[in-house]
Amino acid sequence: MKRRILALLMAICMLVVLTLLPSCTTSSGKKSAALFEVPEGGYDGSEVTITFYHTMGQNLSTVLDAYIVEFNKLYPKIKVEWTQVGGYDDVRDQISTEISVGNQPNIAYCYPDHVAMYNLAGAVVALDNLIDSKITVTRADDTAEILGLTDEQKNDFIAGYYNEGREFGDNLMYTMPFSKSTEVLYYNKTFFDEHNLKVPTTWDELEQVCAQIKAIDPESIPLGYDSESNWFITMCEQLKSDYTSATGNHYLFNNETNRNFIKQFRSWYQKGYLTTQKIYGAYTSGLFTAETGTRSYMSIGSSAGATHQRPAADAEGNYLFEVGIATIPQSSNSNRKVISQGPSVCIFNKKNPQEVIASWLFVKYLTTCVEFQAEFSTASGYVPVLKSVANNPTYAAFIGRANGGAYVSALSAKVCLEQQDAYYTSPAFNGSSKARDQVGALLVKCLTGDDGGDVDAFIKKAFDDAIAECEY
Amino acid sequence: MVDSKNSWKAWLYLAPALVLLLVFTVWPIVNTLRMAFLEDYSGLMEKGGAVFNFGIGNFLKVIQYQRFLNCLKTTALLCVLTVPVSTVLALLISVALNSIKGLQKVLQTIFFLPYVTNSIAIGMVFAAMFNIVGSFLGSENELIVTAGIINNVIEFFGGSHVNWINVGSTYAANIFVMVVYIVWKALPFKILILLGGLQSINKQYYDAAKVDGTSKSRILTRITVPLLSPMIAYVVITSFINGFKEYTSIVGIFGENMGPADDKGRLNTMVGFIYDALSSNNQGRASAAALILFAIILVVTLINLQVSKKRVHY
Amino acid sequence: MAETNRVIMHEKDMSKVKSNSKVGGVFGKIFTYVFLSIMALIILFPFYWMIISSLKTLEEYRLSVPTFWPKVVMFGNYAEAFTAGNLGRLFINTVLVGVVSTILSLVITVISAFAFARLEFKGKNILFAGLLATMMIPGELFTITNYGTVTNLGWMNTYTVLIVPFLVSVFYIYLLRQNFLQIPNELYLAAKVDGTSDLKYLWKVMIPLALPTLISITILKMAGAWNSYIWPRLVANDEAHRLITNGLRNAFTETTGDVNYPIQMAAVALVSAPLFIVFVFLRKYIMKGVSRSGIKG
Repeated sequence: MKRRILALLMAICMLVVLTLLPSCTTSSGKKSAALFEVPEGGYDGSEVTITFYHTMGQNLSTVLDAYIVEFNKLYPKIKVEWTQVGGYDDVRDQISTEISVGNQPNIAYCYPDHVAMYNLAGAVVALDNLIDSKITVTRADDTAEILGLTDEQKNDFIAGYYNEGREFGDNLMYTMPFSKSTEVLYYNKTFFDEHNLKVPTTWDELEQVCAQIKAIDPESIPLGYDSESNWFITMCEQLKSDYTSATGNHYLFNNETNRNFIKQFRSWYQKGYLTTQKIYGAYTSGLFTAETGTRSYMSIGSSAGATHQRPAADAEGNYLFEVGIATIPQSSNSNRKVISQGPSVCIFNKKNPQEVIASWLFVKYLTTCVEFQAEFSTASGYVPVLKSVANNPTYAAFIGRANGGAYVSALSAKVCLEQQDAYYTSPAFNGSSKARDQVGALLVKCLTGDDGGDVDAFIKKAFDDAIAECEY
Repeated sequence: MVDSKNSWKAWLYLAPALVLLLVFTVWPIVNTLRMAFLEDYSGLMEKGGAVFNFGIGNFLKVIQYQRFLNCLKTTALLCVLTVPVSTVLALLISVALNSIKGLQKVLQTIFFLPYVTNSIAIGMVFAAMFNIVGSFLGSENELIVTAGIINNVIEFFGGSHVNWINVGSTYAANIFVMVVYIVWKALPFKILILLGGLQSINKQYYDAAKVDGTSKSRILTRITVPLLSPMIAYVVITSFINGFKEYTSIVGIFGENMGPADDKGRLNTMVGFIYDALSSNNQGRASAAALILFAIILVVTLINLQVSKKRVHY
Repeated sequence: MAETNRVIMHEKDMSKVKSNSKVGGVFGKIFTYVFLSIMALIILFPFYWMIISSLKTLEEYRLSVPTFWPKVVMFGNYAEAFTAGNLGRLFINTVLVGVVSTILSLVITVISAFAFARLEFKGKNILFAGLLATMMIPGELFTITNYGTVTNLGWMNTYTVLIVPFLVSVFYIYLLRQNFLQIPNELYLAAKVDGTSDLKYLWKVMIPLALPTLISITILKMAGAWNSYIWPRLVANDEAHRLITNGLRNAFTETTGDVNYPIQMAAVALVSAPLFIVFVFLRKYIMKGVSRSGIKG
């Protein structure tokens, strides 16, 4: 039977080789995305259905539905159908499969590395011609707008968020920011006030505060940092050292500066100053809100997760301690950098250019509509992508309530608004998420590993290995 | 036996299965072969108009991966450890279940329960059982918030806690946890199959043995196991095949990191490797790895079949 | 009833034989029960965990030190799961897909296993080995090709696409063939001499004898429909055809991308309950089928 199976396999192999050979030619290359040609006249008012993939929970899709209704008052013939597709990775996997048979949606939530992957097939519309278009479009309420963005609209976007769309190495704009979050420093304000501690603004100050806290409460781990990857990438940005590049040699993070900050963090870790989610083995917010035993007094985590950083309330609704929120520590106050996260949206190429235009009109509506951004941000805990949302009465009232207890989300949003010049985004390419994963694992390894007596050699080896993994 | 002019009948009976298999299994396999021999093939890049060279580059790339041998080792180790343990345990439970009267219904139902327990819940509970929450670098700043249920039990009996899956844990400890988890997951299916088999064994064999005063262990090895051998063979062969395709269990315990936090990918397996390639849309490399895996499983299965041919009694 | 009586009578005889021959039987019994109880507890633990997680608040779920009983019992999670998850529709879809695909799959499995176990034809062994070989390729690789196939067939967002592609399981054919092989060939040859048709023979002899295995297959297939995730999400993710796992996964994602596990667990428990009841019900059938098996019938 064995011989028969082998014979069968051989036969199949031969067959495949034979069918393949004629179709084989040399040369392989990546299709460069052509700019979208805006048809003359822009949107022709025809009836189109556009699909939108996102990951919104029910409370957010309710907000979305309300604004689809508003949008349809302007463009009644554009029908928007959305699908909630699990998490971000699910969206990526689904769309990359769909692209292979030309079945992709019109609009999707995206992270930059997803777009880089879709662009292997040249599937994402470069938005530049649409953004710059001066064609006038008439709306159903007899008002008109230009198809593109006005200068006013462009300038209203928070620069760090808007520029993310251009991080693909070809200087074309592929995504529009939709809803954003960042990292902030949560601290136990009650404890800080009681012991007269200063909220650290730099990493040097952080080290001092950690030492002071350790002296007051030796059982504590003063700082919990949620995301190892964010920490590494943010340090590269703050120190102006290389991390990755969208073109040429992608993986550049193995350098002296980076190895040095890692070495410093290692010494802090060994003094018991800090932990991270993966090292700790649970959410660091759980450590921050712990009521007894080991706890932390500072926690760096997503600005959208503020309610997780708040301790439990007692029967009267009083919280165990008051939460303070500040910008994360910096390397130098002249080069302030905090990460920008959260979904953007991209538009996919379709045979019918009217679908692309209709998609653009909808994306433009959602990203530039102050009321939508305000309401969506209030509901989600994310921050709006437009500066002028701060002046929106509803949103201003929301921010006005900010405190370290019941309205901790508002407090977090307030801190985000104050640091809007500091946002950065990283270069995007197919594999950029691999680099992100690798530097996170690298940080954990370098902080906790056994150095065998030579710490520099140990760290160097770990960096070399991480680069090798990325480049594979 | 049956005259061979009836063979058209066999093909008729097999037709629905074969048609479906041709469309949804054989064609994908042929397509896999195509992708495996196109260097750095990516479905998205092909859609974008790229043309790929024909060659064995994908296979070379897979074999040259620095952790390829490691993936292979982990996969094989898990297989060799879990298959015998889970099969023997399932056999013992089935035999025990078959031998009792009181509570039999309740216990049988309990052993079916994992089918209705969602896999997310199972992964979470196992991770929580072995997870140490805290900071534990050296004895000086070891701060354990909770050591996990398993360690609590060990400490209760006077032992000291073991770092199973966290930062600084050993490969042996990681493998131990995976073996426990995989055996747990494999048990219900095997019990179901073996119990089904046991209950169709004619009671007369046992009656005869008992009248003869044959000892229990002798009944097990001389009557039960031989009569059950087709089912055991089925269970062993399929669990080897599934064992070589192990991936989700490791994600369940260690997450996408596929290893303790300080050693990403330490427990990566062959299928994990394939997933990594797929998620960066490198189907060429994924296909090549899948074919290598296929070859390995084929060899193991042929050995299994050869062994079972000698040992299985029909 | 007559059969049950026969079994009881038979057991009485046996217990007499046993008590005569064995003194250590009591000890053996105790050992058996202790062993089974420990294993049962281990098996039960995750189930218990699912239930208590479903009753926790999200804050409590996220604590570093897991609690073994919820501090505040949140029965409200169940109500929220039911409304937020739109469970009714998901449930009907899943049952429909599960039942139809199980029935069709059983038919195909039975006739294929019959052909492999009882009929002789050229290339039988190599074909069977070939089928076994297909089990060895990780199914993930099939997804992309199959996705293309069903799109070309125009099956997107239909029940067909959820049912047809996975009707044939080489696993089940193999399992049933093994079972059929145990039934002596003489029965089939005798039936042939009597002029009984294949289908009648299958229906009257083979199926009753292989009932436990068929029920096992039913359970596995139903559980499969309950747990399938990747394929349905890809090919039928519209309101009308969405299945339960997809619905569950989608409905409880928080804005931060985190999953609200307590509510998800509540939903899982809710949708598991009917399946669990079906199991308890089927267990009786297994027993019945088993007591009827045995060659002399």
